[in-house]
Amino acid sequence: MATSMVVQVVLLVFVYILNPALIGVALIGSVVFSAFALGQRVLNEAAYVRIDHKATDLYLAGPLSPEGYFVGMAGGILLIYVTPVAILGGLAVAVAHLSFASGLLLFGLSGLVWLFAASVGYVFSTFFRDNRAIWAYSSLFFNVFGVLPPVFYPLGLFPAPLHPIVLLMPPSAAAAILQAAIGVTTLSSGELALAAGGLCVETAVVFAFAIFWARRTVRSK
Amino acid sequence: MSGEALRSADLRKVYTSRGAPRVAALAGVSMEVRSGERVALLGRNGAGKTTFLKIASTLLRPTSGSIEVFGIDVDATPERARPYIAVVPQEGKPFFHLCPREQVYTYLRARGLSRETAKARTEEALERMGLTEVAERLSVTLSGGQRQRTMVATVIATEAPLLFLDEPTIGMDPFARRDVWASLRALTQKGSTILLTTHYLDEADALSHRLYIIERGQVLVNGTAEDLKRSVGGTLKVSMPNGASAIDAFRSFGSCVADGSLLSVIVSPERLGELMDLAVRSRLTATVGPVTLEEAFLRVVGRSIDEDT
Repeated sequence: MATSMVVQVVLLVFVYILNPALIGVALIGSVVFSAFALGQRVLNEAAYVRIDHKATDLYLAGPLSPEGYFVGMAGGILLIYVTPVAILGGLAVAVAHLSFASGLLLFGLSGLVWLFAASVGYVFSTFFRDNRAIWAYSSLFFNVFGVLPPVFYPLGLFPAPLHPIVLLMPPSAAAAILQAAIGVTTLSSGELALAAGGLCVETAVVFAFAIFWARRTVRSK
Repeated sequence: MSGEALRSADLRKVYTSRGAPRVAALAGVSMEVRSGERVALLGRNGAGKTTFLKIASTLLRPTSGSIEVFGIDVDATPERARPYIAVVPQEGKPFFHLCPREQVYTYLRARGLSRETAKARTEEALERMGLTEVAERLSVTLSGGQRQRTMVATVIATEAPLLFLDEPTIGMDPFARRDVWASLRALTQKGSTILLTTHYLDEADALSHRLYIIERGQVLVNGTAEDLKRSVGGTLKVSMPNGASAIDAFRSFGSCVADGSLLSVIVSPERLGELMDLAVRSRLTATVGPVTLEEAFLRVVGRSIDEDT
């Protein structure tokens, strides 16, 4: 469990050293990032148990539905690692002085980000025949979606012309909405609609596709 | 369940991938397995056994032909067939972060069994597989044979009407293999049907009611182990370590095979005395043993089961 928090803690330390005033934003970002990372973990785990353990052969040649297998695996990983994320969430609520409504928003948006990442991870996991090939992609998603965009730091520090792009990326969209909720970032109504709408639509579409894909790939051709 | 557990007719599978030649893994396999039978699928590596099992267990689509499980079309409605089957996949491993007890229990719960039933079946399967002592150890710390036993325990605990076992005893010691055989016999007595692949001819002989020999995607022969052994032309095998040079003198007794300096002759019990007299006169040492499935396999396929296709 501890190893799943290394990146978050390191980034929190960086932010605190650079600007202690931003630690509240960074803690909120670390919860969103953790949700993304836990979903992303499905990519590695699903591929690993399929390739190395033949778990899909064992589980899917039986009454368990393919979508049940996918959701069960993603949910299982979430359950295992949820404790440190909950601790980060508690710290975020305390340090950033989140209201009850903002706390609920953090919980809900993190859930959407997790679902998005888990769905993408499961779909991608089906394309690999060798575990080693996954590491590069896993690292790519991790950094491009979670570390680079304004998740641990305010949206205002990111170049303005690129805001529409990061507002369409689920982790930074969720972080921007939460930053707006605590008054650190100002979002126009258009930007808010883009971030919230994009996050909801992307998550719904990707989750639906993952269900479809899980059913489709249960049998190879 | 009664009647036919599995039936395939002219089942074919051709693997195609860009830039690679087409591979016909199955070239018209027709097979029937009756309820309560234990049937072994024998063949060399690459003969098509695993492909057949994958299609039968709904994990791979056939190119053509038909296959049914308890009368359900596996290709058209796999979701209807799945509740009736369970599979020990080839090279499958238990989850390393689970102990055998958790591995079996989790799988049974995922198949929809109640907590009580899953718990009772888990304990029974662990005991049958001799895993009680290591039931709480993480699978990553188990030996290869113990892991394989855990996989078999996981699947036999389902008591599914039709079990597919792909090389179920690979890596096990002889005692563990016999435990598995006993468990599989007990399962079929309860009404389950078993289709297994194996490289161990003694296992197929000891365990199966019937067996199919597959070579290059085609069924060459099917029948009981006894039928196959009888087809060799005798029930006894005489081995003479330095007899190869005298092969012509023994041809009249039955099938003769020279392997280096070793001569093997298949002979009926009625002519054994006569053959032994000749061996003594020729100053050859000879040992007598029963004909095994190995000789039958060699006669049918023309190669040992250990040779790759």
